[in-house]
Amino acid sequence: MKERRLIRCAILVFWTLFWGLSVVDKIIPDVRFLWVGKDFFALFIKFFGSLGLKDPLFATCALAAVSALEAVNFGLHAAALASFFKREETVTDRRYFRAILASMVLFSLFSIADQVFGDRFQLLEHGLFWLVLLASWVVFRHVPLGDRTISLSPPKSVRWTLIAGLMLTVLTSWSIFQFSEATFSNASAPVQGEEVVEGVYKFDFPFLADKRVWEATVNTFMADHPELDVRYIYTGPSELNSKKKTHLLLYVFTEPRP
Amino acid sequence: MTENRGAGHLGTQQLIRYAILSYWAIFWLFNMVDKVIGGAHFLWVGRDRFAQFQKYFDSVGLDAPHVANAALVVAAALEAFALLFFATAAFREFRGHHDEAHRNALVGTLFTLGTFTFFSIGDHWFGDRFELLEHTLFWFVSLASWAAFSQLQPMAESTQGALPRRETLLAAVVGAALVLATGTAIFKHNTTDFIKRSAAITAEPAGDHLYKVSFPFLGGSTVFENSLARFKEDHPDEAIDHIYTVPGPLRLKKADALIFYIATEDRP
Repeated sequence: MKERRLIRCAILVFWTLFWGLSVVDKIIPDVRFLWVGKDFFALFIKFFGSLGLKDPLFATCALAAVSALEAVNFGLHAAALASFFKREETVTDRRYFRAILASMVLFSLFSIADQVFGDRFQLLEHGLFWLVLLASWVVFRHVPLGDRTISLSPPKSVRWTLIAGLMLTVLTSWSIFQFSEATFSNASAPVQGEEVVEGVYKFDFPFLADKRVWEATVNTFMADHPELDVRYIYTGPSELNSKKKTHLLLYVFTEPRP
Repeated sequence: MTENRGAGHLGTQQLIRYAILSYWAIFWLFNMVDKVIGGAHFLWVGRDRFAQFQKYFDSVGLDAPHVANAALVVAAALEAFALLFFATAAFREFRGHHDEAHRNALVGTLFTLGTFTFFSIGDHWFGDRFELLEHTLFWFVSLASWAAFSQLQPMAESTQGALPRRETLLAAVVGAALVLATGTAIFKHNTTDFIKRSAAITAEPAGDHLYKVSFPFLGGSTVFENSLARFKEDHPDEAIDHIYTVPGPLRLKKADALIFYIATEDRP
């Protein structure tokens, strides 16, 4: 396969998947088994509510319009990908140009909305996506990518790279499975507390811990210390954590039972 | 096969080609090291990818650790091949075998694009929009660096002449003076402020049975615990009822670090 064709294929596949999954996310609006996605309905309701438009009809109509535009983007990208696989280069170029143009229009609309709703972080996010779309098209259409062929039967040197890659994958997989086996119990086991100040216990939660670990921890602590009354539980704010090393700190304030 | 003319005649385009290949080889090398080490240790924190993947899959109802492990293995395989192809490309480029380097860098780029596409699918699936932006940006950086790499000519002449002697001398003197000034300021700051990493803070009265603690930027859990111990020592007649952390919007932007209030009641 030629170098130019490989890079163009990677660009088309990425954006087709991007819009395809965005449409799926709109079709499955809630958290379900095998899908979480993002709750755009709640986001839109809050955005319109902040403008004083409390009627859910506004958010629903806006979300329906956005979903329709995303479906159009997906359709255009999928059509460009289909013509790419059929090796119809001119048709692919034309279809991809339309797809990119439609996508950029959608991100422009998002950016206008971000300014209206005052969400500067989303404005940055949508601005960056807009730029990446534009740059993807520049690379796809205007960067003279080479015509070298990448053979499916690799030369000897590449074969050695593949063998080394497989060995490295096996080594990493072994490490992943070891780590998983050693730490998976953290997903349910209660955390042991440490008395850091008289009557104040600190719990350093691991990264795998969630609400179930919290419940198990508090219940275990109360069972282990029947002589203490839990007066108050304080969640350590992120400023108390040693950056990436600590996940969550919890302090339990106790008093001796009368 | 095109050959290099030796290190003494490196053009600017050749240097950028080295920089691109070295960057991606190092990028993937450290990703692999992170996966092999796993977890935080002395001299390495990294990222607990197993915990991240496990939580993602648990959120969609797939809580068996083997699912997260399988996804991590796929990611690790893509990263391993990206590393090896970029490392080979860098090695070939340094040896002056530009065609071989080009072929390996292309395969490395395709693995990189594939890895970030794989991650982006997960981001949509698990609803993590911040990671989606991050992975799309990396995908684009990989694409752009390939576009730059493929356009740069390894044999191009350098367009940069040597700096005039006077300019070099002036830059060296100004640079040395700036290094001295900043170095002195940093070491002085360290002498006066490092103690704040652990020293207890005295709570100031802010109302009836209400005390305010303003943290320094260096403060962490040790400062918090030491401050609580001091508070208990200073106020033996009061019991802590609760602690209120001032939320971010109420702080003076970057000028305030963590602030919390201790509400107390009299001991019976």
